[in-house]
Amino acid sequence: MSGRTFTLDGQPVPFTEGETVMEAALAAGVYIPHLCYRPGYGHHGSCKVCTVAIDGHNAASCTTRAREGMAVETATPELADMRRALVEMLFVEGNHTCPACEKSGECELQAVAYHIGMAAPRFDFFFPARDLDASHPDVILDRNRCILCELCVRASRDVDGKNVFAIGGRGIRARLIVNAASGRLGDTDLAKDDAAVRVCPVGAILRKGDAYTKPVGQRTFDLRPIAAVAIEEARRERERRRG
Amino acid sequence: MGGPSGTCVPWREFERRIAFEDVPSAGAFMVFSRGRDMFEVARNFAHFFAHESCGFCTPCRVGTSLLANTMDKLAAGKGSAYDMQRMQTLMRVLLSMSHCGLGHTAAKPVVQTMAAFPDAYERRLKRLDFEPAFDLDAALATARHITGRDDDWAHIVSEEA
Repeated sequence: MSGRTFTLDGQPVPFTEGETVMEAALAAGVYIPHLCYRPGYGHHGSCKVCTVAIDGHNAASCTTRAREGMAVETATPELADMRRALVEMLFVEGNHTCPACEKSGECELQAVAYHIGMAAPRFDFFFPARDLDASHPDVILDRNRCILCELCVRASRDVDGKNVFAIGGRGIRARLIVNAASGRLGDTDLAKDDAAVRVCPVGAILRKGDAYTKPVGQRTFDLRPIAAVAIEEARRERERRRG
Repeated sequence: MGGPSGTCVPWREFERRIAFEDVPSAGAFMVFSRGRDMFEVARNFAHFFAHESCGFCTPCRVGTSLLANTMDKLAAGKGSAYDMQRMQTLMRVLLSMSHCGLGHTAAKPVVQTMAAFPDAYERRLKRLDFEPAFDLDAALATARHITGRDDDWAHIVSEEA
């Protein structure tokens, strides 16, 4: 340990060589809202919700390595507004039906929206026509609720070693696709206990038979805010890595 | 100057110089005569960027399409000052949060033509406050089809009509 630090909203934050701003912040107990980042999975940086100002320039904190003496800002009114705009964009891009969704209370998109104080989206809804895949006996894939974070892509490839998911298409027509000749989940070797199934932060990949088993009021984000859950999750991952 | 994401130089500023210090260019420039509708030029560019967006990051994937949709709403004569304000918000999101240069500059043609040719935008605004993108009567088309009705009572007529 060299005792290297950077400042986060003026407060010194220690870091070790190679750590990202996000990792160092979570270790110091500071939550920066994020969706496509998950401790233990490869760095991605596509949702942009974790964007911070580093020495005056914006960058995703989950993909930027911490450097000695850098001045990082996260709790500014401008960044708060931009983050809200991004989460609103994710809501209008898909078809998200929180009150009826079985992931409600366990959903990170919903929890982040509450955390950053999003009310109603200021943008027009796209109401896209997206496919639902119920061909797998134990898992359902509902693209209506997908936010294209690619966590399942990384989990299936890097953790499960199966490479079941990918992103197909470009721009607003980008979709989560299934690596099978038929394009159907039922024709893959995906199993219900795979990391790719568990990692979905929203209600896009759901286990059949698990819906509504936990009553409202006892779900993850009913009990604790996402900031506390994320800091705890990062701590567990650090301990796991230390062995 | 410099393509769709470059700098828009209206005729009032024709004394400016093509130079690194003033109007930089990668070598390309486009000239539009006064007969051209600069709103339509910007709308075309907005669709170009929505088409070119790779879809990796949220701000560019969603923002470029929202921008193109809002320009279409204005073109259809359904715009309001709220839409103009919202396009400014989209520009800020694209500029400050996008992953690469395409997203950073995607809103430039709209914002620059909005500043240089406000008339081209304002004459398309239906109202100066708010106009919904949601068309209640159009939304009932499916219900009319299912019930086989198309009489007056199966339509919702907007207030000013």
